[in-house]
Amino acid sequence: MTVRNRGALAALAAGVAALTVATLVACGSQPAEDVGADEAANLATATPAPSAGATDGPAVPVTAGELPAGAEIVPPVRLAIPAIDVTATINAVGINKRTNEFEVPPSVDKIGWYRYGPGLEAEAGSVVVAGHVDSAQQGKGAFFRLRELDQGDTLTATGSDGKVRKYRVVAREEYDKTKIPLDRYFARDGKPRLTLITCGGPFDAKARKYRDNIVVTAVPA
Amino acid sequence: MQLSYFRRVAAGGAVAALAFAGVGAFTATPAYAATSKVSVVHGIPDTPVDVYVNGKKTLDNFKPGDVAGPLNLEEGDYDIALTKPGEPVGSAILKVDNAAVPGGANISIAAHLDAAGQPKITPFVNDVSKVDAGKARLIVRHTAAAPEVDVRAGGTPVFKNLTNPNEAKGDVDAGKVKADVVLAGTDTVAIGPADLNLKEGTATIVYAIGSAEGKTLDVVAQTITGLHSAPGGVPSGDGGQAGTGVNTWWYVLTGAGVLLLLGGGVRMATARTGRK
Repeated sequence: MTVRNRGALAALAAGVAALTVATLVACGSQPAEDVGADEAANLATATPAPSAGATDGPAVPVTAGELPAGAEIVPPVRLAIPAIDVTATINAVGINKRTNEFEVPPSVDKIGWYRYGPGLEAEAGSVVVAGHVDSAQQGKGAFFRLRELDQGDTLTATGSDGKVRKYRVVAREEYDKTKIPLDRYFARDGKPRLTLITCGGPFDAKARKYRDNIVVTAVPA
Repeated sequence: MQLSYFRRVAAGGAVAALAFAGVGAFTATPAYAATSKVSVVHGIPDTPVDVYVNGKKTLDNFKPGDVAGPLNLEEGDYDIALTKPGEPVGSAILKVDNAAVPGGANISIAAHLDAAGQPKITPFVNDVSKVDAGKARLIVRHTAAAPEVDVRAGGTPVFKNLTNPNEAKGDVDAGKVKADVVLAGTDTVAIGPADLNLKEGTATIVYAIGSAEGKTLDVVAQTITGLHSAPGGVPSGDGGQAGTGVNTWWYVLTGAGVLLLLGGGVRMATARTGRK
């Protein structure tokens, strides 16, 4: 075997080794596959609103035209997910005026509840809570392991009324942030459900942003 | 005794049948037609009425301050008549013939007093476009026998020089606000103050009704829900510890691997040819 030949063989071997490592890394970095996407979509199918009764009821609905009173909303105040060792305080949050985005609490061990959407008392719609997966300054966040949740895992949300409500995970999905159907997750109609959101997917170190959102959908258990 | 009971039941049945027929006229709508949602607002003080649409009784003993609907109405022209409760449509106290209802709209028809105190019917098209996340829409309609007014929120005029039968509107931060109505350009309170709870993603329509002279000024409110928008996004991490997928070095490694394979292969091939 000539020297030249040996060099070529070595190059081939190195190439194979490099590609093998690359393949292994790529496989290992794949996010867990989505589960229950159809089920989550079905939950969002609109339920007829009470006022829609106008079309099939025998009488035209008549209401006293009083100024709207504040409805009784039960904010969630505490979340426990034993499967991923999470117990966290929930703060009521709204919209960041500058960015028009969900105002996730700056403290990564806290979770934000979207106060404009339904509360735990709601008989329809999506109760949305979002928490940090991590932060550059504070490290791992409350939802660092959210993507490990699977169908059938249970969690509890405690309301400001002190009542503990139990939920069962039916779906875990990962979406590119530019394609996530947020209208569906922030819907105020459809079956009652709890939607948990955090970040995930590949991290852009320059923009300090994750590409994706992880969305877990749970229903009352 | 028994007879009068029967008579009463029979009479009740007749009214129910009439009301039902009225609704039937509204709802027997072909699926392909563009329908509009129509609400009726009663803003004439001390005057309960029956409401007839196209000659059919649709609302029985409709009281001042009440809001009826929404009804799904097919696009078209409608005759609307108001009678004293129980009186035939022929003796209407107020009527509008050929009121045009466009397709696919959300409309409120207000029975109210004009600036001079005469009863009239005014249709308003409701703005049901989506509001931004965190916002609520406030619509104020001057449907009272009163002069020009300003509407104030927390003491500051937000809508100025509103006259009968016009509206002013704006999208504002959702939440509670103390509002009142003053004579335009003055601090003379005509209505209120009242706490307005503007729920996010809704339109609150407030009608000023009644008569300043008759000291019957009041408000009627109507709420339209489902106008909310989702937030622009959910940013929830900037640490990178949970990043999946591959980094730049992965592409370098893959590229190098491919080059090595190609290079090695070419050298092997040329070496073999060289030996021949």
